[in-house]
Amino acid sequence: MIWLTWRQFRTQTLVAAALLAAAAVYLLITGTQLRHSYSADLITCHSSSAEYTCAGLLNGLESDYNGTLDLFELLVLAAPGLVGIFWGAPLIAGELERGTHYMTWNQSVTRTRWLAVKLTAIALASIAAAGIISLLMTWWASPLDTMSGNRFGTQAFNARNVVPLGYAAFAFALGVTLGLLLRRTLPAMAATLAIFIAVQLVVTVLVRPNVMPAIVTTVPINQTTMSQALRFDRAREVTGPVTIDLPAPPGSWNLSQTPALNSAGQPIQTSEILTCWNQMISRGPVAIKGSGNAPFAPLGACLAPLNLHVNVTYQPADRYWPLQWIETALYAVLAALLAAFCFRRIRRLG
Amino acid sequence: MTAILEAHALGMRYGRRQALTDCTLNIPPGHVVGLVGPNGAGKSTLLKLACGLLSPSSGSIRVLGNAPGSRPEQLARVGFLAQDAPVYPQLSVADHLRLGAHLNPRWDQDFAERRVAQLDLDPAQKAGKLSGGQRAQLALTVAAGKRPELLLLDEPVASLDPLARREFLKHLMESVADNDTSVVLSSHLISDLERVCDYLIVLVSSRVRLAGEVDQITAAHHRIVCTRRDPDTLPAGLEVVSAEHTDRQSTFVVRTDAPLPVGDWAAESLSMEDLVLTYMETAATVRPARQDSEVTR
Repeated sequence: MIWLTWRQFRTQTLVAAALLAAAAVYLLITGTQLRHSYSADLITCHSSSAEYTCAGLLNGLESDYNGTLDLFELLVLAAPGLVGIFWGAPLIAGELERGTHYMTWNQSVTRTRWLAVKLTAIALASIAAAGIISLLMTWWASPLDTMSGNRFGTQAFNARNVVPLGYAAFAFALGVTLGLLLRRTLPAMAATLAIFIAVQLVVTVLVRPNVMPAIVTTVPINQTTMSQALRFDRAREVTGPVTIDLPAPPGSWNLSQTPALNSAGQPIQTSEILTCWNQMISRGPVAIKGSGNAPFAPLGACLAPLNLHVNVTYQPADRYWPLQWIETALYAVLAALLAAFCFRRIRRLG
Repeated sequence: MTAILEAHALGMRYGRRQALTDCTLNIPPGHVVGLVGPNGAGKSTLLKLACGLLSPSSGSIRVLGNAPGSRPEQLARVGFLAQDAPVYPQLSVADHLRLGAHLNPRWDQDFAERRVAQLDLDPAQKAGKLSGGQRAQLALTVAAGKRPELLLLDEPVASLDPLARREFLKHLMESVADNDTSVVLSSHLISDLERVCDYLIVLVSSRVRLAGEVDQITAAHHRIVCTRRDPDTLPAGLEVVSAEHTDRQSTFVVRTDAPLPVGDWAAESLSMEDLVLTYMETAATVRPARQDSEVTR
């Protein structure tokens, strides 16, 4: 059985290995260059006194590598889907389509064993491929990730560390299952892609933020907190809400912004802050610029007596690994359920 | 010795379509069995039930004394060659033999290599590039190379030209001769099977119409031509299979296990082909509605 699995899967394995090797070479070369530039920039940073120069240097480095980063993240995100489409979907559907299951399932090996060997071998190959590419990606991007401090971004989270392994296992099992159900390779491939993308969306948007109860902190609005503010929005009408974006703790995952609330916990109206707003506007753009990196600090000072606050909802930085493992486990469980279904189903297949 | 195939009230249903109805059979060992019937009669279904690819909807089936198919020991004892002889197009002839060797404990590599040489197949040739006849021969080699006690072949010659048919059947007989392998092969044409079969099953519209050893079947059937009369007036013990009447004359095909009694008729024996066609025709006239529901599988 192992011989047959290898013989049938040989071409795909070699193609995948060649692609992985090409990607690895390119990632290793550019990754080394990136590290060189990064440490050189850091040395320049430390030797020069101007903080502004340092930020500029690092920003430049980030934008130099942004295109490559996006490209590789796309590759890591696509890899599990490709595994599901090209390795999963044809595994059973291809046999059914050509009728070769009549030959193979009538040798002295039960279908259960046939499926067990094929599933195990190719699932391991899928997980290994995803693991290698994710490892390379994580290593390659680590200087950029350190600079951005945003490990929870959708692309950054989905294309790093262990989650791609779970995705690959799931996509492969999904492809096999759909091939078994639809009995045609092409429709199975299309359905695999569609369902895989749908599941990824649902998990990323709905499951990941809620799988561990988020932390909600109440931040009062005053000069100190407003000096950190990222955004201040008033409604066009005087009756609309006021939104204030305050940063979550460094490295954490900021989930939501709520409108500014009064001491009773009710959203305030734009009319209530108009005085302060007009004060800020009247000082003009020069004044705002002159206040350095904290353009909203004077506004905060003006708003402080109103006793306002906002609720900041976030997942703290130390939940990164728990969330990675939970999501990997979730996908692994889904993959196992699909595999179990395949074993049940293949016994009753004619 | 245990029967090749023992079926009791066996039935198979695909959704709303009844593919096999109330099939009761007991085929003794050591036969080359021809399974004949029009397309869609249930031949493939019966063979797939026998090798365990399908599980019956009703009734029971035992092959070589065991439930078909689910255990490796039983799989090793029964070989199956599916319709159109599927092979892996990307795998070479030699790869197919290797497949057989890796997946079967009793694989006979000498036999398989000898046959490939006899057939003039290039071991390095990709199976996808073989002709239909060569593909069927390769699939037969894989099925026979595992040295089964029973070989099931589903329409093995349907897609072959007459020369390739003859070649295939010749090789089939050679392959099974030295091992006392029992064979069941299906066809919608009796002429394909006449030369090789010594046991016959006629399957029409999902039902078994006739089953038995060829010699006994031919001995038991007669065509009698007489002056026009009602079938009921024929002597007891004659089972009327078909009746045709002209203005003055009646022609009956009758079956009797005793010698045909002497009467005021002219009697003749029937060829296998005539006999099978008679059974197919009567089934068609009895249940004409079945015709349109027949699907080739």
